[in-house]
Amino acid sequence: MEYRQLRLRYTLSGLEGIVASTSMTVQYRQDMPPAGGFEAVKYKRNLPFRGPSGLVILGGVTAVCAYGFYRLGKGNLEKRELEREKTWSRIHLVPLLLAEGDRDAYRREQAAIAREKEIMKDVKGWEAGKSVYNNPKYRPADSIVVL
Amino acid sequence: MSSYHDPQTSDRPYKDPTPLSGDVPHVKELGVTSAPLKSAAFFIGAYCKDYNEDFMLCKNENRDPEHCLKEGRRVTRCAQDLITKMRENCLKDFDKHWNCLELNNQEYYMCRKPERALNKCMFEKLGLVKTIPGAPEGQTPVHELKNPVYTGVQK
Repeated sequence: MEYRQLRLRYTLSGLEGIVASTSMTVQYRQDMPPAGGFEAVKYKRNLPFRGPSGLVILGGVTAVCAYGFYRLGKGNLEKRELEREKTWSRIHLVPLLLAEGDRDAYRREQAAIAREKEIMKDVKGWEAGKSVYNNPKYRPADSIVVL
Repeated sequence: MSSYHDPQTSDRPYKDPTPLSGDVPHVKELGVTSAPLKSAAFFIGAYCKDYNEDFMLCKNENRDPEHCLKEGRRVTRCAQDLITKMRENCLKDFDKHWNCLELNNQEYYMCRKPERALNKCMFEKLGLVKTIPGAPEGQTPVHELKNPVYTGVQK
C-alpha cells in the first residue's frame, strides 16, 4: 500500500519537472553519430579456429593408411625371403647332420647285432639282425634295447 | 643282462657305449653347436656342395645308414675343413656373428651387421659367397637389403 502511494507521488513530481522545462528556452544538443561514423555491425560469426578441416583429416588418414599398407606389403615380401633364407640354411646342414646321425645309428645297429649273435649263439640256424619281413628295403629297428 | 625298455617311457637315456667297429675309418665328429652351424650354413652349402649333393643322392638310393657311410665321412671332413678355415681366417667375425645369433633366437635378420662383416671376410679370404637359391631374380637378396622392414629393435 505504501509502495503504490510512493510511486504515484514520484511520477507526479516528474511530470511537473517536464512541464516546467518546456516553458524555458534550454540549450540542447542534437545527438549525432561519433566522428568517423559508427563502426560496422559485427553480424558475422566469430568462432575460434577449430583445427584442420575434415577434408584435411581425411586426406591425412588416407595417406597414413596408404603408407602403412605399402610397408605391410614390403614386409610380407621380405618375410617370404627371410623364410626362404632360414629354410636354405637348414637344407645346407641336412647332409652334415644326417651323416653324423647315420654313423651313430650304424654303430648302434652293429652293437645290437653283435649282442643278438652272442645271445642266440646256441640256436642253430639263427641269423642275427635278419629282418622279419621278406623285403630288402631298409627299415629302422622297431624297438631298441636300452642297456 | 639287458631287458627291453620302451625308449619313449624309459627313465634312462638311450646310450650304447659300444664303439664303431675297426673296419670303418674313423672321422672326427664336427662337435659344433647350432649357432655356429647356422652362421656357417651358407658357406658349408657353397664349399661342400659336391660332397653334400653326392651324399644326398646316395641317401636317395638307399636309406640304410650303412649304405652311405663313405659319402657321409666326406661330408663331415669337408665341413670340418671349412670350419677350420673359417676359424683361421675370420675368427673374430665368425665369433661375433654366431654369438649374435645365440643372443637373438638364431634369427638372421637380427644380426645383419656382424653377418655383413663375416660375409665380406669370407669372400675376401676364401672366395665364398652367400647365395640363397630360389630368390627372385633381379632383386637385392634379403641379406643385403640396405633398409629392411624387419630389423631388430636396435639396429
